[in-house]
Amino acid sequence: MMMTIKSSSHATVKERPVTTLEQQKTKPEGRKDPWGPLLEKVGKTQDRAAYQSLFEHFAPQIKYYAISNGMANHAEELVQEVFISIWRRSCLYDWRKAAASTWIFTIARNQRIDMLRKMQRSSAEMAIETEDLWQIPGDNEDEPVTSLHRLMSERRIRESLSLLPEEQITVIAKVYMEHKSHQMVADELQIPLGTVKSRVRLALNKLKVILQDQNV
Amino acid sequence: MTRHHPDTLTLMEFSAGNLSEPHALCIRLHLDQCSHCRSRVETLDSLGAVMMDHQPKVSVADSSFEQLLARIDSAPVEPEPVTSTPRLSPLQKLLGDDINELPWKRQLGDVSVLDVTEKFPGQGERVVLQKLVAGGKAPAHTHRGNETTIVLQGAFADQKGVFNQWDFVVLNEQDEHKPVAVGCEDCITLSVLSAPLKLTGTFTRMLNPFIR
Repeated sequence: MMMTIKSSSHATVKERPVTTLEQQKTKPEGRKDPWGPLLEKVGKTQDRAAYQSLFEHFAPQIKYYAISNGMANHAEELVQEVFISIWRRSCLYDWRKAAASTWIFTIARNQRIDMLRKMQRSSAEMAIETEDLWQIPGDNEDEPVTSLHRLMSERRIRESLSLLPEEQITVIAKVYMEHKSHQMVADELQIPLGTVKSRVRLALNKLKVILQDQNV
Repeated sequence: MTRHHPDTLTLMEFSAGNLSEPHALCIRLHLDQCSHCRSRVETLDSLGAVMMDHQPKVSVADSSFEQLLARIDSAPVEPEPVTSTPRLSPLQKLLGDDINELPWKRQLGDVSVLDVTEKFPGQGERVVLQKLVAGGKAPAHTHRGNETTIVLQGAFADQKGVFNQWDFVVLNEQDEHKPVAVGCEDCITLSVLSAPLKLTGTFTRMLNPFIR
């Protein structure tokens, strides 16, 4: 199925997500990350049933992610690359360090960037690999307190997102799903850059992404 | 210990994968050394994951999963090595082992520069290394557009404070400064410039590497 994504803001606003059955099903056990154990099974025993469950849940998200990023012609390809990468890297996944969905999001982001880079230039021109720029260092860190904090923050964001006003979600969605800079979002919505930034800041405050003790 | 961090909105653009490559490199180098910002980015990555889940879903082709399995079976992929030989840091890949030994171009008494823009093809920004000899002073200047800088070695001070190794600073047209290298090492910075600097002092020769 092919979707055409218009770059107009209204398209995104109107196409607000339908809550899927999957989300409803996992809600009662929302305290735990339901996908982490599956991802660990893939890493430890190459469990294909677990791999398929992950695929069924995340592949449609990643396909939409590709399309909204303007890669409609390469959407299936991106899904394939992301899942090959998940298969290869799952042995490195540690549920204590990140929720599975967060881990998968970073792989989708990195593969999206990598695919675009490879389309735009030859490998000879790339002294630095995509992962050198975008992979967060510190995979070997063992910080249990921080880990707990990370897992809780994912849950908190998930739960409080629905409390945000539409205009704040729209701005954040454009940044994350359409790889638009804050400036581009401002141009597209025809609002001042300062307004975009303040919407983002308000949202991040409400989601407690910006911690109160932070002044930077 | 770094004191000057990227702001949350910049980290958000990093988390979303929206920064140009030289900007991403500045953030990445900072993250290497700053657990505080690593943790902030991880939280922002969670926001990315939640946003992705919050958006519409698009069914994949029926054969998609079988294709994937076929690919896995036909070329059994090596699992990623858990411990590999120490990998080169991005900075080493880009600039070699010793940033002091690069073909620096002397500009003014204390200032040398090296334009490394060509290492980032197609990014539309100037990328410049600047070196201020230990104890040296740069002429007063301001900036056109934004200049994002990360300190790679040593430290410099201006009226806003002291910037140590891996500190991150963004300057714009409002920021006139007159940096001084402090400490006993030469201060080397990596800067991404959206537009050239503008000298404000009485110097007529240029610190600015783009106007010759």
